[in-house]
Amino acid sequence: MVVDGLWKFATRRRTTGLALAILLSLLFIAAVGPRIAPYDADELRMTERLQGPNRTHLLGTDHFGRDILSRALSGTRITLLLGVSISMFALCIGLPIGMLAGFFDRFGLLIMRVIDALMAFPAIILALALMAILGKPGILNVILAVGLVWAPRMVRVVYSATLALRESVFIEAARALGASTSRILLRHIAINLISPVIVQATFTFAFSIMEVAALNFLGVGIPPYVASWGGMMNEGRTYIIRAPWIILFPGLFLATAVLSFNLVGDALRDRLDPKLRRAM
Amino acid sequence: MLTFVLRRGIGLLISTFLVITITFLLMQMIPGDPAAVMLGANATPEQIELLRETWGLNQSIHVQFVRYLVNFLRGNFGESLFHRKPVLEIIGQRAETSIWLGVAALLVVVGMGIPAGVLASIRPNGLTDNAMLLVALSGASIPSFWLGLMLMTLFAGRLGWLPSSGFTSILQTGNLANLKSLILPAFSLGFVNAALVARTTRSSMLDVLQADYITTARAKGMRGWVVVMKHAFRNASIPIVTVISFTFASLVSGAVVTENVFALPGVGSLIVQSVLKRDYPVIQGIMFIVAVLYVVINFITDLSYALLDPRIRYRG
Repeated sequence: MVVDGLWKFATRRRTTGLALAILLSLLFIAAVGPRIAPYDADELRMTERLQGPNRTHLLGTDHFGRDILSRALSGTRITLLLGVSISMFALCIGLPIGMLAGFFDRFGLLIMRVIDALMAFPAIILALALMAILGKPGILNVILAVGLVWAPRMVRVVYSATLALRESVFIEAARALGASTSRILLRHIAINLISPVIVQATFTFAFSIMEVAALNFLGVGIPPYVASWGGMMNEGRTYIIRAPWIILFPGLFLATAVLSFNLVGDALRDRLDPKLRRAM
Repeated sequence: MLTFVLRRGIGLLISTFLVITITFLLMQMIPGDPAAVMLGANATPEQIELLRETWGLNQSIHVQFVRYLVNFLRGNFGESLFHRKPVLEIIGQRAETSIWLGVAALLVVVGMGIPAGVLASIRPNGLTDNAMLLVALSGASIPSFWLGLMLMTLFAGRLGWLPSSGFTSILQTGNLANLKSLILPAFSLGFVNAALVARTTRSSMLDVLQADYITTARAKGMRGWVVVMKHAFRNASIPIVTVISFTFASLVSGAVVTENVFALPGVGSLIVQSVLKRDYPVIQGIMFIVAVLYVVINFITDLSYALLDPRIRYRG
């Protein structure tokens, strides 16, 4: 049943199937990355530095002679890990706050003002400021900083969905039957929030890995000794004219990952909530 | 109309107040004694105490907040720890580059996005339409800094047509040719948003073009372009204005990275440098100015709806 549904979802549009296939291969790379990589991602080989794509190094080498393909594969794991953690973080904050705000008018009025004010700070500015406040570059701080940027957006989505649900006939019926507020929230509203939340989490994932890459590129994300796509692009800047492949390939990995998440998000939205189908 | 403006005006004030409060609270989260952090590692206890006294850090938090609020409203954003100059002055010096870049990027967004969207709406599912869908989809997934770096390799590196980095003030030198340095940054910054504006223009135009009054206009024998521009476009413009005003936040975010890529001396590269140096007063100043700009732009967008659509004016 589930497999059948998934198969139908994947084959309904050619792009969705392709995007899902890319996602699955990214997951596979993240799981086994270092084992299928031709070289150690961090091994320095100064004699082989700045080589263009060739037979021994399929995607070339960087200024330390490190193999770009192996580093990009190793960066997949950290990227997916950060994306999942950030989406989860945004979800854990966004779901309860959004639900309560949508259900209780006074609380909602107050909290949504604050959420709107938080959203007045452009994403990267807020993330940068949070990185400065949290202190050292590090994986946990990146999750917190980017997660706090995307949590308000999750609150917004949950809030408007709750507002709409609250007025539905089945909620009225539940209340007439004497269901308590907490039961209505948990058993009737939360269940119906699953689809918008999954869709929003997919987009959060796509945006957040892009933002993490930007932070790493600016040198304020995770420490530079961890191989990451953004970090690789940052290191390659000095050699951009001589060795553009150092930047080209991590960027392609990033763009492919973001694109496939966006496509899956779009398809999920169409599938789970036809009313929200966007004009694109 | 007056009630409409007044109502939105009050909303504007509340939002600004909240923005100031959030910046204040965020700065309270800095671990350790702010005075010690601000003065750096070589400060003596006496210096720290003196600064605590001048800033009123020894007082309760709400007294501190009121003081902070008053300072902000007076335009006193404190002094940069690194440059030892008032924050506002430093931001002011960097503003020119960012404003030129923003205007140039917006020209790319509007100049490419709207015509492309109108063209696509005239022949839906035609060649232009499909090509644009492809660009919009991939455009939303390409990081602007990567696009910038790739354009730099091609146009500045291989072809040598355009300068790869840097920008010299136009106000000081009067040399408009300096704008050439902004072509690549503006394009890499504006491209993604242009795709978004194009998609919105297309769908909004498609909705309107099916309306009865368009058929009437055509039946009267008006020429195709006049109908499209005079009758359809104005009525299709509200969603387009919304999307363009949304692009502000994304342009600011993009500018932070783009200025860094092309080594432009703007506010975006200033905030990155300030984060690396932990120059908190400058970070706080930039956060505040950008957020207030955002709130003001939203306010202006709301007003422009009322101008474009009389129904909104009366509803208040």
